[in-house]
Amino acid sequence: MALRVNYFVDETISNLRRNVLLTLAAVSTVSISLLLLGVVLVGGEVLKKMVSSWEDKVELNVFLRDEATPEQVEELGSSISGMPEVSQRFFESKEQAFEEYRRMFKDSPAIVENVDPNALPASYRIKLKDPNQAEAVAARLQGQPGVDEVQFGGEAMKRLLKFTGVVKTILYIGIFLTLAAAILLIANTIRLGIYARRKEIGIMKLVGATNWFIRVPFLFEGAVQAVLGALLASGFIFAGKVFGLDRMQEVILFLPMTVGSGTVLRVFFILLLVGIAIGVFGSTLALRRFLEV
Amino acid sequence: MIRLENVSKVYKGSVVALRDISTDIQKEEFVFLVGSSGSGKSTFIRLLLKEEQPSEGVIYVAGKDINQLPRWRVPYLRRNIGCVFQDFKLLSNKTVRENVAFALEVIGRPKHIINQRVPAIIDLVGLSEKLTNYPNELSGGEQQRVCIARAMVNRPPILLADEPTGNLDPSTSADIMNLLERLNESGTTVVIATHDHAVVDRSRKRVIELDGGKIVRDQVRGVYGMGGA
Repeated sequence: MALRVNYFVDETISNLRRNVLLTLAAVSTVSISLLLLGVVLVGGEVLKKMVSSWEDKVELNVFLRDEATPEQVEELGSSISGMPEVSQRFFESKEQAFEEYRRMFKDSPAIVENVDPNALPASYRIKLKDPNQAEAVAARLQGQPGVDEVQFGGEAMKRLLKFTGVVKTILYIGIFLTLAAAILLIANTIRLGIYARRKEIGIMKLVGATNWFIRVPFLFEGAVQAVLGALLASGFIFAGKVFGLDRMQEVILFLPMTVGSGTVLRVFFILLLVGIAIGVFGSTLALRRFLEV
Repeated sequence: MIRLENVSKVYKGSVVALRDISTDIQKEEFVFLVGSSGSGKSTFIRLLLKEEQPSEGVIYVAGKDINQLPRWRVPYLRRNIGCVFQDFKLLSNKTVRENVAFALEVIGRPKHIINQRVPAIIDLVGLSEKLTNYPNELSGGEQQRVCIARAMVNRPPILLADEPTGNLDPSTSADIMNLLERLNESGTTVVIATHDHAVVDRSRKRVIELDGGKIVRDQVRGVYGMGGA
């Protein structure tokens, strides 16, 4: 068996070398297809981070009446904590609210001085497990003893959530389309390569090579091309991250723009697997026609 | 070595290529299969290689009923049959040596066997000087010699040749026929499909003539044309 492995390796290398142009065409097709897929995957990662950073900012503010008794405040707090939709609850006293206010306007002391430290209300800040439930939770808290007003962003937030939903749908469609395009392009390239060597396959069959013996070098070639293509595509994606996204992040501070090297590595492995799977599957499929008797 | 019993082949539609053929080719025989194009010669050869299935009848090759052969055994059947073609079917990106070695590599023969047999068979067909040449640097006759070397390097008991002299001039054809006869003398069963009158008449070997898919003549020391003996 060792001899056969030698044959397969020799054959794969010499075929790749002899058909340099075909190999180049195949590798570039694979890498471009995988690059498309990779860009969508990384873009999706960035979008997901953006969306969840927006959704994280969705907060319910329950402002308390100044005349609310400590017992009312206490009771309200525990009833909020008891709600199944709530993930986190903070209490902000009047003093903390004023501190926060002072911090926000620290560059314009005139605004701070004109406000009575007592004018700002104490409040409960609530983060929800699912931001879509904000309206329902707000309605339940409205009118409870000690509650002055409940703010939840209302229309603006509803629109934001709708927008992020659309973004997610577009993202999934994009992944599906680029994956389909990658499969078609790569399978077609493999078919061309096999078609170019149909004479060789015919002779192999004639002198009595078994189908597996004919198939294996093609599968190796498909896999090597897929690995090269995935490396190339991931290289471009990494360059895009370092020179594109990272630079943008330095300018745009308020949104997450970039992804970690870990994400790029994960995308590389996805591309590698997709490439090899398509390469091997595509070769098998394309060879079937040429292997029939 | 090769036996056909009441073999018919009808292609899709209703094209009848062979009608009720029965014949027996012995071990170490040398047989010409003659007939005009469309007479069924090519179908005959394709059936022996199991490239086609007969519509009716039984075919034995090297003692085995090849109809009963499962698909995965077909490659092993073909290792018993060397094939030579009118258009040579050499790989243009491989040298003479590599073309011949290819036939052994793809059936998984170890390197030391390849290194020993390939130069020997190329020497036998008289091309030792051309080992590292590519097919397009060779004449037609030389290319056919490479093709024969490739067919024989695995030492098959049977050699099938489909119009081996079809593209060659008469004196080159005579050389190729001499080579095939020598292979036959060393023990190979040779079947040659041809419509080259000159080579058939010169050899005076057994002739099976096909016409419209039927055997119309089977002569022990025949010539191409009817009644010419």
